[in-house]
Amino acid sequence: MKDSVKEKSIAQDSRLLLEKARADGVETVWDRFAAQLPNCGYCEMGLSCRICVMGPCRIDPFGEGPQRGVCGADADIIVARNLGRMIAAGAASHSDHGRDLVETLAEVAEGRAEGYGIADEAKLRSFAGEYGIDTNDKDALAVAAELAEALQEDYGTRKKALTLLARAPEKRREIWKKLGIAPRGIDRETSEMMHRTHMGVDNDWQSILLHAMRNALSDGWGGSLIASEVSDILCGTPTPTPTTANAGVLKKDQVNIVVHGHNPVVSEMILLACQSPEMIALAREKGADGINLAGVCCTGNELQMRHGIPMAGNHLSTELVLTTGAVEMMIVDYQCIMPSLGQVAACYHTKMISTSDKARFPGMEHREFHPDNARKIAGELVREAVENFSRRGEVYLPVAPVTATTGFSVEAVVQALGGTPEPLLDAIKKGAIRGAAGVVGCNNPRIKQDHGHVTLMRRLIENDILVVDTGCAAVASAKAGFKTAEAAAMAGDGLKAVCQALKIPPVLHMGSCVDNVRILTLASALANALGTDISDLPIAGAAPEWYSEKAAAIGLYFVASGVYTVLGPMPPITGSANVARLLTQGLNDAVGATFAVEPDPEKAALLIRRHIEDKRRNLGLDAKAV
Amino acid sequence: MKKVVVNPQRCVGCMQCMIACATAHSRTQSLFTAALETPTPKPRVHVGAGLCGDGFPNRCRHCDPAPCMLACLPGAIHRDPELDTVRIDPDRCINCASCAMACPFGVIRYHVDPLGPPGKTVAVKCDNCVDRRREGRIPACVEVCKSGALTFEEMGAAMKRQTDAVARSVASEVEGKPAIPAGVALHRALRRASWEMNQERKENSHEG
Repeated sequence: MKDSVKEKSIAQDSRLLLEKARADGVETVWDRFAAQLPNCGYCEMGLSCRICVMGPCRIDPFGEGPQRGVCGADADIIVARNLGRMIAAGAASHSDHGRDLVETLAEVAEGRAEGYGIADEAKLRSFAGEYGIDTNDKDALAVAAELAEALQEDYGTRKKALTLLARAPEKRREIWKKLGIAPRGIDRETSEMMHRTHMGVDNDWQSILLHAMRNALSDGWGGSLIASEVSDILCGTPTPTPTTANAGVLKKDQVNIVVHGHNPVVSEMILLACQSPEMIALAREKGADGINLAGVCCTGNELQMRHGIPMAGNHLSTELVLTTGAVEMMIVDYQCIMPSLGQVAACYHTKMISTSDKARFPGMEHREFHPDNARKIAGELVREAVENFSRRGEVYLPVAPVTATTGFSVEAVVQALGGTPEPLLDAIKKGAIRGAAGVVGCNNPRIKQDHGHVTLMRRLIENDILVVDTGCAAVASAKAGFKTAEAAAMAGDGLKAVCQALKIPPVLHMGSCVDNVRILTLASALANALGTDISDLPIAGAAPEWYSEKAAAIGLYFVASGVYTVLGPMPPITGSANVARLLTQGLNDAVGATFAVEPDPEKAALLIRRHIEDKRRNLGLDAKAV
Repeated sequence: MKKVVVNPQRCVGCMQCMIACATAHSRTQSLFTAALETPTPKPRVHVGAGLCGDGFPNRCRHCDPAPCMLACLPGAIHRDPELDTVRIDPDRCINCASCAMACPFGVIRYHVDPLGPPGKTVAVKCDNCVDRRREGRIPACVEVCKSGALTFEEMGAAMKRQTDAVARSVASEVEGKPAIPAGVALHRALRRASWEMNQERKENSHEG
């Protein structure tokens, strides 16, 4: 007997589609999770080490069996090494995503990327300015060429510090300098982490964790930040845009194409192809009423933020949207794409296409995108999707979509505030808004889908805490209806009044998971405006349903930047009391922020409210007892 | 006589015992080659998942009297007095499943076994590693268990150990050392918290 679908998700579309998946005999992520139980306790506690082949080794957490690996590493060293490699993988993922955008920018400058261009020239020029490039009397493409070159330098080993650290408050940079964790090169820190965690290199668990922070910062103030900014330059800086969300965004009478992954380079060209009159005419010829492009996960967020393209679902919905039988084609790039998707699609008429030279999947046809051929391949794929419409079987679209407003880049937030962050600071000073929280991260079958995100956000806005969100958390709150101006009614009186005056939702969508750097940029701007450090602000972060290495890196760059961060699922560190204590207590002395772990979002909300009130008290503002 | 003792509070759910058991009951006796055998060797100990996903190694108790032995019509199940072990004779087994119906612990499986008659599906369960014991080796599941969930000891010694552990935990304030290490306790508390949260009866659907 299988568990009720109500235990798997709070989202009605997921519940109904999971019932359909079961009726259709489709295996989903929840089935595979159940089959994995019990999870290996050594691995969950971080006590297994597979780094070398004198092992593999494991440490007995009860203290009677082996207490050291073959090399002599104890629980502290093994847990720290494992965590370090987790951070390295996360930082590498976002930063390599950033590299792909820099390469696209370079090819645009060389005129070899048909279809792409400079969508935000003002940002190109200001960003180039941050890199010390003289933009006077140069055309946009010349600036782009120089900027791409300068950005590539940040990836290398010739710098003493990353250029964009200059955005951080001065006090913060001093802390990094004092601890010796100011990142030097994006790839360098990841590479050094792999070196340090090789057998017989860094065997001081504290020093490994310090480097883990440096590595995470190389992502947050390097690779991810570059990814986000160059995406804006190439595809446009997001502005508030109406859109819709949940599996109901798929359309019964139209050709449905779903993009999945993270990098906007592919999806932007698919969007262009979907809008071409020739393709729309072809769709009509095939009996469809047009072409409907939708997204899932962060490629979906990228398109939604910039173009209002509807969002069909987050991480745990990616298999389920295929069970609608309504998807003609799913096009994926990379990251968070379950290798099971090809098998799910095989039960329906859906064509699955992989596009990245570094990401291939079983049951998918590989059609490699590069900036110089993207436009052409996108056209071919959309044509094939349209032609696939006639092979459609039964379609099941269980719910109507929910409306949402998206597109709150830092620039858009400042614009909504009337051109300066002052009104937000005033509202915080007066106490109408108590503070702000970034709720980010993934879905994880350990936690009922969206329950962590939605419950936490509801409690925060009820208590006058402005929420900004990204990634799968942002999709959860859109599905829950938190991203409409009317949702202000759910907020406490202070936040409600501010939202109604500015006509903004109480939960602001800041983008995909690389766009967490927008939150850092906003926090820095607020700290700079107050002449203080990020760690002094009444703000917090949360990742209630995180699962991935990328999320671990994000969490650590938030904490290392001074943002108290509450995790839902426990990272694999309970095997070392020393590591766990350092991350949840000791870091406060070093960087002015720590992690907390609390799977229950009701309790996580209390932790965040308490933290925000404490910070208010320290700033001399009025503070409530929580 | 030494016996396999299960200490469920020590199981970390790694399933190493299952892999070691399947290897010990293969023809080639090495993990890498055993996995390539046909029929595939199967474990006779099974790690189940408890309410919060905690592991439990479920193993034949070699009951006395053994319900499976009483239920076996062809007389394929007998007690080996040398190692106090309930054993199944695969040649006599008629694959009727009566023993599995009688077994209160669900430890009997049916499949073609690499060590049984070729092509014949038979009842298979733990044999206390009789072949290894005759070579002077301890049962495979115990040998591989690093957390102390499976131990091989005299029952008297095991009971004294358990009694002492309980006594120590009662006196833990004096000794200052908890019976369960702090990291393990934290790990289990978080598992329990996740489980309780997912069990909430309170309806939280936002769309339906």
